Amino acid sequence: MIKILYFGRLHESAGRRAETMALPEGVTTISALKHWLNTAHELDGALDDPSVKTMINQALVHADIPLNGDEEIGFLPPVGGG
Amino acid sequence: MIKIIDTPFNPVIELEAFTKANSDAGAITSFLGQVRGETGSVHELYLEQYPGVTKAGIQDAVTKANTRWTLTGVVVIHRTGAMGVGEPIVLVATAAIHRRDAFLSCDYLMDYLKTEAVFWKRQTGAHGTKWIEPRAEDYKDSDRWDTL
Repeated sequence: MIKILYFGRLHESAGRRAETMALPEGVTTISALKHWLNTAHELDGALDDPSVKTMINQALVHADIPLNGDEEIGFLPPVGGG
Repeated sequence: MIKIIDTPFNPVIELEAFTKANSDAGAITSFLGQVRGETGSVHELYLEQYPGVTKAGIQDAVTKANTRWTLTGVVVIHRTGAMGVGEPIVLVATAAIHRRDAFLSCDYLMDYLKTEAVFWKRQTGAHGTKWIEPRAEDYKDSDRWDTL
């Protein structure tokens, strides 16, 4: 199962802070997952916004990498500072 | 020591404990950040962290500060959750043999916290609710450490 975390304004757009799910059928990469979530939660492409960073297992990723189906995935809008 | 907590803290008690723990230091600098009221227009500030990631980032900044200056101790206490006007958000204190290292390292850590620390900040007030991002001045303050 993958665990997906939405932070800041994204958790309001997605209507949830976290969700756990099996990889949807046909989804094998982070890029495909973002596309799937954008559609499923009607995010209007928010996860593809260049200002939104993606972390897999708490490490930043910049490329479209394959998913095993057991990762923690975080979507991080620009930080606000402390 | 780094603490990220979702309940109020007393900066006086925390600073007293830090001072006692660093009794050999010749200098202690501290910074306390609290929720600004903006002349009545702000009612609440809400901060969110990414557990694990937020603390690791602060730890990295503390490690860099320890490399750059000679410090005998550092404490960073940061609130998350909902806070009212006047409530403490962050306490940073650094202890050193001499004052310059204490001053500079405390300033450096606050610049990190204001611009790069992994927190999301939502302000609620008379004009509704909005997510806050660092100001241009915050980035300018932080950038100066590259040339100092």
